[in-house]
Amino acid sequence: MLIHADDLLAFLRRCLNEPIGPYREIYIPVRQDDGDSSATTLAPLREDSRPVLDGHRAVDPAKLLFYGVRERIAPFDREPPPALLAGIKACDVKALEILDRALINKDFVDPAYQSWREKTTVFSFDCTDTAPTCHCTLAGGKPYADTGFDANAARFGDRYFLSAGTEKGRALLDVIRKHVRVDAAHDRVPAAVEARRAEMTARVVSQSAAFERSEDYDRLRASPVERWKEESRDCVGCGACTHICPTCYCLILNDESRGADFVKVRSYDSCQLHGYARVASGASPRPRMDERFRHRYLCKLVFMKSEFGSLGCTGCGRCAEACPGGIDFRSAVRHLMEAAPGVRAADGIG
Amino acid sequence: MKPNPYEAIPAVLLETIDETPLIRTLRMKPDRPMPFRTGQFVELSLPGIGEGPFTPSSSHFVTDTLDVTVMKAGFLTEHIHKAKPGDRVGLRGPYGSSYPLTEFEGQDLLILGGGCGLAPLRSLFLTLLDEIEKYKSVTFFAGAKTPRDCPYKDAFPAWRKHPKVRLVRAVDSVPPGEAWDEEVGVVTVLLGKLDIVPKNSLAVVCGPPVMMKFGTRDLLRLGFREERIYLSMEKKMYCGLGQCRHCVMGEFYVCKHGPVFTYAQIKNEEGIWD
Repeated sequence: MLIHADDLLAFLRRCLNEPIGPYREIYIPVRQDDGDSSATTLAPLREDSRPVLDGHRAVDPAKLLFYGVRERIAPFDREPPPALLAGIKACDVKALEILDRALINKDFVDPAYQSWREKTTVFSFDCTDTAPTCHCTLAGGKPYADTGFDANAARFGDRYFLSAGTEKGRALLDVIRKHVRVDAAHDRVPAAVEARRAEMTARVVSQSAAFERSEDYDRLRASPVERWKEESRDCVGCGACTHICPTCYCLILNDESRGADFVKVRSYDSCQLHGYARVASGASPRPRMDERFRHRYLCKLVFMKSEFGSLGCTGCGRCAEACPGGIDFRSAVRHLMEAAPGVRAADGIG
Repeated sequence: MKPNPYEAIPAVLLETIDETPLIRTLRMKPDRPMPFRTGQFVELSLPGIGEGPFTPSSSHFVTDTLDVTVMKAGFLTEHIHKAKPGDRVGLRGPYGSSYPLTEFEGQDLLILGGGCGLAPLRSLFLTLLDEIEKYKSVTFFAGAKTPRDCPYKDAFPAWRKHPKVRLVRAVDSVPPGEAWDEEVGVVTVLLGKLDIVPKNSLAVVCGPPVMMKFGTRDLLRLGFREERIYLSMEKKMYCGLGQCRHCVMGEFYVCKHGPVFTYAQIKNEEGIWD
């Protein structure tokens, strides 16, 4: 169905104010300063918020809302409010698909993540702009979501084409239809949306052209140690890249028990930190920074691929944005792939 | 909804046994039974202090209590050594793979271990003794730095009396003033005294990384087959659930696919001995 852009934003505000629909909280990308920066952060929608549904991905990844930086995990007795997460982009939707496989599977269910996930409707929006480090197309993605969303909004002109991917998404569209004037006759992606999507994809491809690489990432293992040392030279081992990564979920557990209760608190950890894999005897499988750096690249491009069926990188480019050493994941991967024996730079592309 | 995988089973500490100046065995009684298979590990937590992975050192046929043998090596283990009988602790698990006892049946077995690596091997050994009729023979080569550093001192004389068991101990060195009438040298020198046929036998190895590395090398040279050398790997199994990723070794999680691996399984992974 089609909806006017202004009506959609007004609807989101009405959800909280009137309230209509089941959503007690709405998370949305908001502009943080008065400047002309296109940067947004995910935050609860408030009266004075300046929400931005279009544009490119927010500074922070969607995992922050579902997988807290620090949260009590046992006992877990919180009941998250029914929420709507609106305005996340395809790279974050794809990351949530990976986290779903990692955190809700037959062997293991993270109780907190599962609760947040079940209570939240993911309402993704097509990209209408790129951040300087965006490179989803290099990671096998596109600047709009095909799967993984509950509902999706594709901008064209002053309207959105809305589609649902799940029951939760259909429920959202029903609420919208009930309270907002929509053009429900349109049930196919309009040609104008197809055209804008193709144009956005071409833009990402074009800004990623300098970083094109082979997709045979297994070869990264064979990249020589000198190359890893060179690429990691400016790495200070701070862990910003892994904390901001939408698919990293390494955790540490702290025991904060008092009295007779056993309380466990889960926090983010980073494989880039020196103590990460060190055992009590002092032994560590990766004592050097270049070894930990290499581990992260292999985890993103090789290990997660074999474990979850898709790369652990969705091409959001946040790691490059966050790195205080100015290390750009895109160029590092290209250099490392080029240095791997028997690999040509653009092997397997086109 | 699935049970919370992070919830611990409360247990009470029944007694502590000082094995060496740095190694202590804790016997615990969980509030509800926690059956495990020898070789698997548990997460032991001290309320308000922390949690760490330990392989039980008791037979898996003992189900009402559970022993762990802990070497003082850091913050958590120092606190574990301070724990007193009657203290409440938490247990999660058991986790990971176990020794494949059915494959051991009717075979000559070699158990090779050193230092605190003897903890899981004591569990294996006691479990084997409980059904010793199933196995052809058990050779147990145990190493320690000095006589003082040998755990399970009181148990060795009784274990040694068993007709199907051959138990030999070695210490790296004997400081002045300490008595020792058994072998001297790193534990792998005992392999020279092996009287079973390597290519038909199975070996289980656990100990410090350097001992595992050279022990495995020597076993291969003697003719043990790589798929019949079982290694109990130690990595940082922080959560025990294959989630925290600290124990990732290439594409294996030590906590989920291990900690018991055959050498054939992991020989191509990087950093296995570190």
